[in-house]
Amino acid sequence: MKSKTNKKVIKAAKETVFYLFLTTLIAGVLLPVYFIVSLSFLSTREAYQYPLPLVPALKTDMELGYGERGYLLSVWDRIDKEYQTVLDTADLEKMEYYIKSQLGTKITEEELLFETSRLENSDEKSVFFTKPRALLNNYDTFFRVTRDAVPALIRSLQIAALTILISLSIGGLAGYAFARYVFKGKDTLRFSVLFVRMFPGVAIALPMVFILARANLYDEPLGLSLIYSVGAIGLTIWITASIFMGIPESLEEAAQVFGASKFQAFMKVTLPLALPGLAASAMYIFLGAWNETVAAIILTQFKPTFSVVVYQTLLGASGQVNLAAAGGISMALPAIFFTFFLRKYINRMWGGVKV
Amino acid sequence: MATTKPKSFRKIWGQATPYLLILPVVIYYSIFWVRPVVAVIVGSFTDASGFFTLQNFVMVFNDESFFPALYNTAIIVIISVTIEFIGALFLALLINRKFWGSSIFLFLMLIPMALPAVATGAMWMTGLTAHGWINSLLYYLGFLAEGEKIYWLGGLQQNQLKLLALVIIIDAWQVIPSMMIILLAGLQNLTEEVKEAGYVFGGDFITVLRKITIPILQPTIQTAVILRLISAIQIWLIIVLLLGFGRLPVLVERIVYYHEEVPGLDVSYQMAAGYTIVVSVIVSLTALLYLRVSGAFKKEETV
Repeated sequence: MKSKTNKKVIKAAKETVFYLFLTTLIAGVLLPVYFIVSLSFLSTREAYQYPLPLVPALKTDMELGYGERGYLLSVWDRIDKEYQTVLDTADLEKMEYYIKSQLGTKITEEELLFETSRLENSDEKSVFFTKPRALLNNYDTFFRVTRDAVPALIRSLQIAALTILISLSIGGLAGYAFARYVFKGKDTLRFSVLFVRMFPGVAIALPMVFILARANLYDEPLGLSLIYSVGAIGLTIWITASIFMGIPESLEEAAQVFGASKFQAFMKVTLPLALPGLAASAMYIFLGAWNETVAAIILTQFKPTFSVVVYQTLLGASGQVNLAAAGGISMALPAIFFTFFLRKYINRMWGGVKV
Repeated sequence: MATTKPKSFRKIWGQATPYLLILPVVIYYSIFWVRPVVAVIVGSFTDASGFFTLQNFVMVFNDESFFPALYNTAIIVIISVTIEFIGALFLALLINRKFWGSSIFLFLMLIPMALPAVATGAMWMTGLTAHGWINSLLYYLGFLAEGEKIYWLGGLQQNQLKLLALVIIIDAWQVIPSMMIILLAGLQNLTEEVKEAGYVFGGDFITVLRKITIPILQPTIQTAVILRLISAIQIWLIIVLLLGFGRLPVLVERIVYYHEEVPGLDVSYQMAAGYTIVVSVIVSLTALLYLRVSGAFKKEETV
């Protein structure tokens, strides 16, 4: 009896240690992600502070007093733990704009007028008030201020969809051939998947400028998706071959026994069974096309992709870290969403892949 | 006679099917891959006025950044592929144990793979500046005194080891997940019985791993490592995002440097093309060497 409880205790202790270990691992891996998310919610004022606040504030405490030029606005600094003067102006519109843009805080003109009249009518030197933060302010600003963020987003979706269409149809056919047939040159083609990757992608993008320009596809979504498909088709061949190998050929043969043609057997039997795996490869292709930046910078001019827009916010003249963070996170969200589904299909996609 | 004709036609048709299925790929590759590649190869053997020359390669080898770029790339590839393989194998073995919550754990570990390069760039750029979140975190944890800062990206040109270490860590952080999913897929195909047999015969975890799991996993490991090796040699974007051009030269960074940063020079295009060919040759030789050593060619025509 005693040893039984002992064993239980040991097991529980082991499990606790195991899960503590996992938590540490998760924390370590996701720590950088946490900070970029946190940064995307920080106000511009706080984003440039050191040390950087660990969590975004949910409200802003402000103090309004009299200054030399009019009203003196001070804001509670969470790091130095004191009110710090940030603005001295009589212009309420300017103050409202400052609170919105620099402090990322919601305030209306009426509310500000109310606070100033409260100050005028009181005997105190200053009045205190608290307003809720506009947490999505950076996201809002990113999409409003950044030139063509929304059209770029739509273009990126178009490009990803086209890339999926091209790679899955062309690569899928070859993948099926790999899974079902023995033919001469099979190994050469299998290695060619690697071969295509051995030539630096940037170096291909450069001569492609001329090739696409001649075809009137430079600076067009279709042009970019044609380039992305070069890399994507290779992996799609491997992955779809693995998926088709996972579906027994005997099922197709059985359908043929019942009078279906080979094509019908494929359409009616194999394809429906392969569909979840193929959907997973589509998501995989999406990740590549959606995230790609370098070729997009080279091959676009007036019609940038979303990744290029984020890149420009990050490094361009308009660069502002909290806005870039918001752009980066908006870009990462669909990719992370697809990854959530992808994890179920890892085995179907990569299980049969062998160099 | 009349009956055999459609039959043989059918036979030929049947034999042609796989070739018809791979035909679109062949056409696609020849238009969108072979053409630009040939253009670069021709460019690498041509001087500015369009005549054949080997001068471009002489210029590349005489470029004062060539050997630093070669060394840096070699160091990054050797260390990062090793670290990434060990990390990915460890994670794959862990997740394959199928504990409570392993599916969510897998998802969380995959997140670095899903992040776009610009987002990771932003993440590490804001982290590694003197006022960044890494120093802030160290300050809150008490490792840094007030006003004290670590200049992660600063320092003298000589202090390249620190920069190399940073690049390797950041690269590993982003790349381990994509290597891990390939290894995990291989592990999931491994039946438990095989491993259990190893344990029954008195093997401990390490012995079973070394004598049973890894040998059976060998083809999967080859796939994961070769894909990684090929792209590790071509690392450049994160380096340029963090350090700009020239601070830590690597081979592909040189291609982009000559093409994008100094496009005005007479020799820019020739240098970029020359570097491209050199990189491709290095990548191909390394890949072939790895495949030969790991024995991938032995199984040819058996799939």
